[in-house]
Amino acid sequence: MGGLSRRDFLKASAAAAAFAAAGASAAASLRPKDASASEGDIRWGKAPCRFCGTGCGVLIGVRDGRIVATKGDPQAPVNKGLNCIKGYFLSKILYGTDRLTKPLIRKGDTMVEASWDEAMTLIAGKFKESIDKHGPDSVAMYGSGQWTVFEGYAASKLFKGGIGTNNVEPNARLCMASSVTGFMSTFGGDEPMGCFDDLDLGDTFFLWGANMAECHPVLFSRMIDNRLRNPQVKIIDFATRYTRTSQMADQYVKFNPQTDLALLNAIAHVIIRDKLYDEQFIKDHVVFKRGKENIGYGLEDKFKFADEPKLIGFDEYKAFLKPYTPEYVAKLSSVPAKTIVELAHLYADKSRKVNSLWTMGFNQHTRGTWVNNLAYNVHLLTSKICKPGENPMSLTGQPSACGTTREVGTFTHRLPADMVVMNPEHREKAARIWGIDPKKIPAKPTYNATEMFRALDRGDIKVVWIQVTNPFQSLPNLSRYRKGARKGDGRFIVVSDIYPTRSTELADVILPSACWIEKEGMFGNAERRTQHWFKQIDPPGEARNDLWQTIELAKRLGYGSLFPYTYPEKEIWEEYRKFGEGQGKDLAPYESYTKARGLCWPVVNGKETTYRYVEGFDPYVKAGEGIKFYKNKADHYKAVVWARPYEPAPEVPDRHYPFWLCTGRVLEHWHTGTMTGRVPEIMRANPSAVCEMHPVDAGRLGIKDHQKVKITSRRGTIILPVNLNGRGKAEKGNIFVAFFDEGKLINELCLDAYCPISGEPDYKKCAVKIEKA
Amino acid sequence: MPVSGVIITCAEGCSAEVSSRISSINGVEVHGILPDGQIVAVVEADTVDGEVELVAGLYEVEGIQAVRLAYHNFEDIAH
Ligand code: SF4
Repeated sequence: MGGLSRRDFLKASAAAAAFAAAGASAAASLRPKDASASEGDIRWGKAPCRFCGTGCGVLIGVRDGRIVATKGDPQAPVNKGLNCIKGYFLSKILYGTDRLTKPLIRKGDTMVEASWDEAMTLIAGKFKESIDKHGPDSVAMYGSGQWTVFEGYAASKLFKGGIGTNNVEPNARLCMASSVTGFMSTFGGDEPMGCFDDLDLGDTFFLWGANMAECHPVLFSRMIDNRLRNPQVKIIDFATRYTRTSQMADQYVKFNPQTDLALLNAIAHVIIRDKLYDEQFIKDHVVFKRGKENIGYGLEDKFKFADEPKLIGFDEYKAFLKPYTPEYVAKLSSVPAKTIVELAHLYADKSRKVNSLWTMGFNQHTRGTWVNNLAYNVHLLTSKICKPGENPMSLTGQPSACGTTREVGTFTHRLPADMVVMNPEHREKAARIWGIDPKKIPAKPTYNATEMFRALDRGDIKVVWIQVTNPFQSLPNLSRYRKGARKGDGRFIVVSDIYPTRSTELADVILPSACWIEKEGMFGNAERRTQHWFKQIDPPGEARNDLWQTIELAKRLGYGSLFPYTYPEKEIWEEYRKFGEGQGKDLAPYESYTKARGLCWPVVNGKETTYRYVEGFDPYVKAGEGIKFYKNKADHYKAVVWARPYEPAPEVPDRHYPFWLCTGRVLEHWHTGTMTGRVPEIMRANPSAVCEMHPVDAGRLGIKDHQKVKITSRRGTIILPVNLNGRGKAEKGNIFVAFFDEGKLINELCLDAYCPISGEPDYKKCAVKIEKA
Repeated sequence: MPVSGVIITCAEGCSAEVSSRISSINGVEVHGILPDGQIVAVVEADTVDGEVELVAGLYEVEGIQAVRLAYHNFEDIAH
């Protein structure tokens, strides 16, 4: 290494990796040739990033059993060697000083260390007792989109196929459920037709309620890079709050909360009125439907809803759209009529490749399913769909919201591969693969996530096991569910996690879990890409894999025969992929994933599918068929354009509570902050939640920047400093508070209203008042 | 002392200006401007805290649209 210090080599390696990731082959000569030699003692392994649903590839460098370096994986098609700022924290999430390393059992007000055997004996005993006394629906599993595929699969198999209850739910109900019901009702199959390549290939991007610059930075960068190469590229940010995304967009279109429903109908109205639609495509690939209206908000316990879709004609759909004139919707939304018309024309511009991207603004919505439907409508009417570079795309927030919760089907109503418990053939098939009596799987779904915790509060559920998530910080109308959890009377709560959280503090047993590369795993990202990683370091202390924990419970409840594996991860994968075979959900053999940087399903004959429903890309579409929505057999393989009206939010600002409260994420933190909050440097960059407020509103109330204010909704109160000029800027009449701060439980203020079709709560809209604290 | 390699995306035509602006920041070393205007830089600080502060600070520099992380080595800090 002649003359250069270790430090110089590290710096050279850092620069070399950056040059390489930038695709700078011309810069190869700039790379000191010894750079890689200096790393000789570091062992590199691949994994998808632990944080968001983008699923960036990471290379992890391990020496002496510890992580010493990370790299963006240059071979990963998602991020091509570059991670976002959260990449700095990937390794450190594992090494917080308060990592849980031993099982803990509650003795009165204290948690006492116990052996795994003691903890598992206690847990199994409580499960048995509750099942004997109150039946299988008195026990539940609450997991997450951070479960590996194996963990979610084992939980679902044990509860649905073993214990015989559909009490399995993931936290993805709180973030992705409306996307699922949107896809299912429009296309008959879950998950997008396009992939992230659309960000490079498209030239027109409509963002709806998606602060991509902060929440999906790597994807946002792909779009920005595209714009740098191609001056045609236009980014339009539809939002209720001005963010870093708005700042970088070509156009920021602010609208009043909830009026996205009306805006999308107005855009469709203009497309029809000005004859901008693709008549042939509509004839070939679209049917029209209208469902129930005035469908409620899920505010009462045990709320039930079933849609009753009716086929309508194109003319009836046109008549439905009549009232949504740009002028009428301008009044409702505050978007000028002229802008609505212009943007409708931009959506339909035949010379442009148009994409829509959305996240929680659409999904966390009391009409979340509808607003997803309405976005698809615009793409279907204009045939801007199923083409490389033009597609609607719903983005995910968790690393395996798609791979685990949606594809494995860890919702109360779902089974793997888009199957549902209500369908006897689906139950048959699941039972066959699981080797059980089909009668074992109950035909009725039980509770969505909110209802599950309502049931715990009422006492209908007694025992709940929470894995890889933090509901006692993340549920809406939080106080009710936090109190409910500790009501006693036989209630028993198990929480598996890696750090103490606002949920472990309510637990009767806390189990220390292995995290990310401390175990083997697979995640599935938002573009249908399934990614595998091997265990690369040992978990600390006695921490154990959640998969092991679930199987251990199974054994102790007498369901060990459901898990007869010697290499559980591999064997579960091979068993699980039987569900999707031939269903357009085909997955490759286990080995393929150990090498590939992920594969987008369906994977048929070793080939992944980047664009679904499209001839030439998707093996399920035969030559000559062009486009075929083959998952929607019921509608003759056509997609559905839905007539869905604008309906107001359940709670709107009034004299007493004059502001809209919206909650969400910020660049430096991920979800409830249990991992990013561990890392002192993030806490420094963005240490605690603030209340973003418009300066005019603040001025009217005599509130100065950084002054503390009391925010009150009908459900709770919180005191926060005001931020009038932060990275995000609230619009007049709105405030925004991030939900990562475990010291400030903003969700206590949120309303637990949900979309009746998806069961997903609306964290973006409730009414609050602001006073000087 | 942790060290990281980052790629900085600049608004069109801003790369040279951004490069000279950030070169004066202690702990940021510009290693090159690529033909497409992206800047390759090495960031180092005494702690990961320091690195993150530097990178978060870059986000506030005019003309910078994104900062992405290619490589991070922190072998000599005890966790
Ligand atoms: S964009 Fe998401 S997946 Fe990619 S590095 Fe950042 S947090 Fe990880």
